[in-house]
Amino acid sequence: MRLLIIEDEVLLAAQIDKFLRDQGFVVDVATDGEEGLYFAREYDHDAAVVDLGLPKVDGMSVIQTLRREGKTTPILILTARGGWRDKVHGLESGADDYLTKPFHMEELLARLKVLIRRAAGYAAAVLDCGPLRLDTARKEVRVDGAVVDLTAFEYRMLEFLAMNPSRVVSKAELTDHLYEQDHDRDSNVLEVFVARLRRKLDPEGRHKPIRTVRGQGYRFAPEGAALDAPAEPS
Amino acid sequence: MRAFSLQTRLLLVTIGVLTVGLSAVGWMLDRSHKAAVRTGAEQQLRNIAYGVLGAIDERDGDIVVSTGHLAPRLAQPQGGLYAFVDVAGSGVVWRSPSAAVRGFDLPENTLPRRPAPGEHIFARDKSAARFAFAYTVIWDPSKTRATIWVFADSAPYREQIAGFRRSAAIGLIGATLAFVIIQFAAVRWGFAPLRRMVARIRALEAGDRADIGDDYPVELGGLARNLNRFVAYERDNRERYRRAMDDLAHSLKTPLAVLRNTMRDLQQSAATVIAEQLGRMETTVAHQLARAVAARPLLPAAPLSLLPLAARITRALQTAYEEKGVVVDAPWQRERPAQHESAVRVDESDAMDMIGNLLENAFKYCRSQVRVSVDETPKSVALVIEDDGDGIPPAKRQAVLQRGARAQDDVAGQGIGLAVVVELAANYGGRLALAESELGGALARLELPAAADSPKVAISR
Repeated sequence: MRLLIIEDEVLLAAQIDKFLRDQGFVVDVATDGEEGLYFAREYDHDAAVVDLGLPKVDGMSVIQTLRREGKTTPILILTARGGWRDKVHGLESGADDYLTKPFHMEELLARLKVLIRRAAGYAAAVLDCGPLRLDTARKEVRVDGAVVDLTAFEYRMLEFLAMNPSRVVSKAELTDHLYEQDHDRDSNVLEVFVARLRRKLDPEGRHKPIRTVRGQGYRFAPEGAALDAPAEPS
Repeated sequence: MRAFSLQTRLLLVTIGVLTVGLSAVGWMLDRSHKAAVRTGAEQQLRNIAYGVLGAIDERDGDIVVSTGHLAPRLAQPQGGLYAFVDVAGSGVVWRSPSAAVRGFDLPENTLPRRPAPGEHIFARDKSAARFAFAYTVIWDPSKTRATIWVFADSAPYREQIAGFRRSAAIGLIGATLAFVIIQFAAVRWGFAPLRRMVARIRALEAGDRADIGDDYPVELGGLARNLNRFVAYERDNRERYRRAMDDLAHSLKTPLAVLRNTMRDLQQSAATVIAEQLGRMETTVAHQLARAVAARPLLPAAPLSLLPLAARITRALQTAYEEKGVVVDAPWQRERPAQHESAVRVDESDAMDMIGNLLENAFKYCRSQVRVSVDETPKSVALVIEDDGDGIPPAKRQAVLQRGARAQDDVAGQGIGLAVVVELAANYGGRLALAESELGGALARLELPAAADSPKVAISR
């Protein structure tokens, strides 16, 4: 999962960055609105955290610009004041949630997870995909009721695929959302990870949760899972 | 008692002064005209008496009057002019033909005394409505003492006086009316800038104007300028204050957030102490900032309708709490919403903070239902927000309504949120009450005074 943080307080931004990385997210940090817009246009993020009081381009304009450009990335706004005019204006401009400073990191994390899940069309924290069951709160995966032991990276890969169901996810996209931007993009490594994940999830080849679409990428569609196309975030 | 308006005062004074002054003028005119008429009458009668005197001849001791040279009116019965020659010792020796024809005798009993020789008297015989003139001469050589009497009906003179009075009264009353009308117009014209100012101040209070303009005469110019400056200053100040508080909030809360997040790396015992202290600091900052913004506004705000704002905030909250799937029951969602809702005079930003805090609590603590309704009386508008959460126990309600209290410590800000509402509502003469909802959770009732002079606002769905 790749997140964008636009926060001008360097220290706070660094803390959020570290915390979210520790949670397994890939994080881009921008310290002003202009930089934030650059990152948002350059990469595809699963969610963004935008402080409303930003230098150069303020947070409200960032949100409006992104929405005008057709970006549907879920956005969480941070406000220091807690004034409702700002909050309502922010939500009306296209933000999806708000958090008033000072806040607990756990609260931020919980809100971000909800936003990401919501964007993928899941209502609950536990994703039921046919025989597969992802508990996003506990980072636990079960197949036919039995817990599958996954590494952190494997879990993140599966979660990202599950959050983009019935859609072809390219290898480049997968790399973008799972690795830092300066990471060596060797697609062979990714293929190895996908193969290992498949073996763990479906050793007998019954469910085929991750399908390869030749020349395009992967598609998450376990047999027996009634997965609709993700609901368009409104 | 209501004081008279300046305009009424000026008009009353003008009418009083004009009435007294012009009455005095009328009285003096009347007096001098009467005196002039009287003097004229005396003059006339004296001339006639001299005429009679000139026509007298004495022959053999008898007085003879040759009528050929007398005033023609003395010969006419209707002339209203009569003359007698009255000799001491022998009585009336001659009377004018007018008196003879009418059988008019010298009215002995009402006569003034006969004047001494060489003297004359002029008197008015009120009962007979006549002027009387008498002149006494001593006729040489017989030493005959003769008094010449001339009488004239006073009716023509009275008519003359009455006619003058009539025209003088018409003139004076007309002048008074004309003056009053002119004065009224002058006062209206003179006070027009003041009236304009008053109307604009009213519009300013209603929020329909931003200033009172500067097109005033020189006497009001300074006042208007100062008032405008004052209004702009107040508006500016409030906005600057708000911004300063925003900056302060940002610069205080961000470091607090940083500190709070640093704690996770600390040892448990130290973290507990710091967390406690940080909590206190956060609460203090939040309180002081809430209080700072909740300064009583100097100018009444423009009339504002609560429900459309509540609808807007509800929509925003439904975005933020989408996954909770809160069902909102509110007037704007009904097929036929209530027809009217009175407006309140509350600054929009303050209204949003009050409604926002209450609705946020409802969304946060409800299980699945939130209800918004409006309770109106002629004097007040109450926005009632209910939820189906756990509610606030009666014992804790009072504490929650006090600033700084937290009913549920695990969710930050509830106490402060309600305290802000309490403080803001008090600023506008309103209040917040907490009760139990029939939905099972909390009921918050925000009551604000209705803007009495504002037009009713129709709710749009």
